[in-house]
Amino acid sequence: MSDENRSGTRGARGASRRQFLSACGLGVGALTGLTGAAEAFEFDLEEFFQKHFRELSDDEVAEVLERLERKYSKQYGKEVTIDATGPIDGVVYGYGLDISRCIGCRRCVYGCVDENNQSRDPQIHWIRVLEFERESAIRGIDLEEGNPYYNHEAVPAEDKFYVPIACQHCEDSPCTNVCPTGATWSEPDGIVVIDYDWCIGCRYCMAACPYGARHFNWGEPNVPADELNPDMHLLGNRPRPRGVVEKCSFCIQRVRDGRYPACLEACPVGARKFGNLLDPNGEMRFLLENKRTFVLKAELHTRPKFFYFYGRG
Amino acid sequence: MHKLARFWRFVTGSLDVVIRGERSYYLWIALLAVVIAAGLFGYARQMQLGLITSHMRDQVSWGFYIGNFTFLVGVAAAAVVLVIPAYVYEWGPIKEVVLIGELMAIAAVVMCMLFVTVDVGRPQMLWHLLPVSGNPNFPYSLLIWDILVLNSYFAVNYFIVTYLLYKSYTGQPYNSGFIMPVIFLSIPLAVLIHTVTAFLFMGLVARPFWHTAILAPRFLASAFCSGPALLLLIFQILRRVGRISISDAALRKIGELLAYAMAVNLFFLGCEVFAEFYFPTGHTIHGEFQWFGIGGRFDVAIYTWIALACNSVAFVLFVVPNFRNDLRLLSIGCVLAVGGIFVEKGLGLLIPGMTPDALGEVYAYNPSLNEVLVGAGVWGVGALTFTLMVKVAMAINVGELRDVPPGTSPAYDTGVRSLKLSDQQGGSGR
Amino acid sequence: MPVDREEGEGTPRPPSYQMATWALLGGVLVLVLVLVSARGRHGPDTTRDYPSRSLPAEPVPVLLPPPEMDPGYWPCSDCHEGEKTNFEVRKFEEEHDVMEFKHGTLWCLDCHDAEQRDTLHLANSDRIPFSESWRLCTQCHALKLAEWRAGVHGKRTGYWWGPKEYRNCVECHDPHGPRFKPLEPFPPPWPPRGPGSTLVEAAHE
Repeated sequence: MSDENRSGTRGARGASRRQFLSACGLGVGALTGLTGAAEAFEFDLEEFFQKHFRELSDDEVAEVLERLERKYSKQYGKEVTIDATGPIDGVVYGYGLDISRCIGCRRCVYGCVDENNQSRDPQIHWIRVLEFERESAIRGIDLEEGNPYYNHEAVPAEDKFYVPIACQHCEDSPCTNVCPTGATWSEPDGIVVIDYDWCIGCRYCMAACPYGARHFNWGEPNVPADELNPDMHLLGNRPRPRGVVEKCSFCIQRVRDGRYPACLEACPVGARKFGNLLDPNGEMRFLLENKRTFVLKAELHTRPKFFYFYGRG
Repeated sequence: MHKLARFWRFVTGSLDVVIRGERSYYLWIALLAVVIAAGLFGYARQMQLGLITSHMRDQVSWGFYIGNFTFLVGVAAAAVVLVIPAYVYEWGPIKEVVLIGELMAIAAVVMCMLFVTVDVGRPQMLWHLLPVSGNPNFPYSLLIWDILVLNSYFAVNYFIVTYLLYKSYTGQPYNSGFIMPVIFLSIPLAVLIHTVTAFLFMGLVARPFWHTAILAPRFLASAFCSGPALLLLIFQILRRVGRISISDAALRKIGELLAYAMAVNLFFLGCEVFAEFYFPTGHTIHGEFQWFGIGGRFDVAIYTWIALACNSVAFVLFVVPNFRNDLRLLSIGCVLAVGGIFVEKGLGLLIPGMTPDALGEVYAYNPSLNEVLVGAGVWGVGALTFTLMVKVAMAINVGELRDVPPGTSPAYDTGVRSLKLSDQQGGSGR
Repeated sequence: MPVDREEGEGTPRPPSYQMATWALLGGVLVLVLVLVSARGRHGPDTTRDYPSRSLPAEPVPVLLPPPEMDPGYWPCSDCHEGEKTNFEVRKFEEEHDVMEFKHGTLWCLDCHDAEQRDTLHLANSDRIPFSESWRLCTQCHALKLAEWRAGVHGKRTGYWWGPKEYRNCVECHDPHGPRFKPLEPFPPPWPPRGPGSTLVEAAHE
């Protein structure tokens, strides 16, 4: 332990200590700049440490709901109620879309936006309506040829047909497979849900979804208070934080109370069908048995529960 | 107790080493500090406003950050290219420089982890990935596997380097029976990190451009080009500014390895191009976008052709012995290889994979200034990490940073010398 | 640990079995990775213990009341009282201000009863009230009847498990010109960096 074997002399080490400290000072300055940015989001300890939804006890769920109700009621200045209603026994939801009738009016898109509290700016639409040339249908529906940005004076435009696309709630969903934190999963009634408080925003599920059904909150979501739908479900239409993925939830806040989804009720031509696939008397069974149905990208074996059909004739 | 005190002196001694240096060293650190500060500024803005400060959108939801991550995982894996000949085949000249390769691997892994952190929408929730407190989706999600192997690789390499350097610091022989198995563990781990990263793209059936078996071999081949090429450039810099002797034979051997690696890389590229274009289907549109552009957007196409040119020229420079043995030409080849593979693997993989998107829409993504700033900042952190570690390593190996315990056999304490690990063993130094 | 030492070589060569062991370990790791993730076609299942739930209501199709009659024309007998009917099939230019009359080859008295103007009549001359006008439609559009009852044709609101509200044909289809008129579509979505991209600048204000 002799001095010769130490690096440098004591005198020089004192000078180097001062240099070290000044380097630290620079680092502190940088950190201060970061802290200023950190003030941009309020830090709530309970919210931060909230566990995964399926690990919460019923009491903890009630606490979470109550905390979120307080938060959003205060934020939007109106009374909101959030519940976490569970699935109904013996029910697996399916959706039907009659492409012989859809006219591409997009009332479903905006009905969904209103019902599910989607951000207006940055804009998030859970439903995307693609317009195809009638001729291209002879090659099958090639999604390359779809155009979501049509803006005619009146629809349906001549020689076009329309295919609205949202989450297909696949039985074998690739998105739930790849989520690293298990923030998205398939519920017993077939709805693929997201625990918005658990999602870390890695966007792996968005890369995995073959239907472009998932959307990310790139910026702070913005829902005007007067347009907020106050009847919310924790896994459905409660306001989402920035930096998480969101998507169609089959209007979980409605369907688990037996109601139809908002898009279905908004459609003026009755192109949308919804119900329990396991109900032998329901409309879903009727259309699956009597109509020419197909699913998108069937070769991927995702087994979507969103069935497109041709209703006429 | 003495051992703890010695280890603490190792730490403080290392700090002393990194603080003092020549003028060029201070300039380099200052430059890195500026770059890192710019990165911090960009990241602060991103934390405040969200990822909307990037140009990523729903249609192209992964971009610059993940592209850099992919490239750097390859660089990290490529340290194994040197370990194999050094330790497995006992090729002496390479052994000298394996340590620097492993330091580069550590710095690269640090950059990888940082790139993932800056890409995530809610980094404060990253604890959700941990077992026990979080809920990792193991074994289905490849991201969890990636985190596992990356951290293992980092831990193993960091341990190897710290062990070897500390032994050198104290003038002790290293226990080959102990450290060799660990070094050998790093070989499959290196292959594993890049294979797992490739798997996380390959498993996505929604992206036909990525859903191909050759992606993992392509990753490894391009990694074995870009990693050693980067190392070659770094060695030449270190030879000039640091007290390290690296034989030209070592550099030329690496050049030879690069020739093989680039040959394989170009062959795999040819395989991919054949499969895409022999009978074009709807899926070929991604390849079309990559090579020819669609809808008036040619930026990626231009970069892809430039990258191909760079790689081809680099291949020629590596494979022809007269060119390879000329160190200037070899260096040019390395620069071309690194640049070409960065474009081919970083941007040329991510953007065409997501363009057109799952619903056929072409959104021409280019990184925003904010993304580039943050990315540069991460590279700065990596470069800083590497610089500091190399400074300590070099100081130890020239004997500047030493703390030999009393009673150590003088055969081990050979004083000032060059960076040769083989001297440590058996007492028969060169 | 046995090491092989060669003549003049200071560095011990690691025995080949060691190399083989680690290579094998690495290979096993990769194999496990491949096998385990290859079976992962189902993501995480929710293991939340939901209580058993069922909805009490029965799914009952409920035909909503028909739309209100236009007070400008109803009741028809206010004007059409005790007149002599002109049975000639013709086009009306002024009467009834019907904007469009385009329903195949039908004309008014195919559905409207000539003697009792406040009713409609079926093909077999049975009179039906206006509230049952759907029975007229299904005479020709018989295939639609089953679909309409099943809910596959036409708009439904309300409850998929509960009162399923469905509607009379005339609520959506004008019987005098049943084909839907084109609608003005709601606005298209913004392009990825369309108006939304100004958010970043706006945030600074």
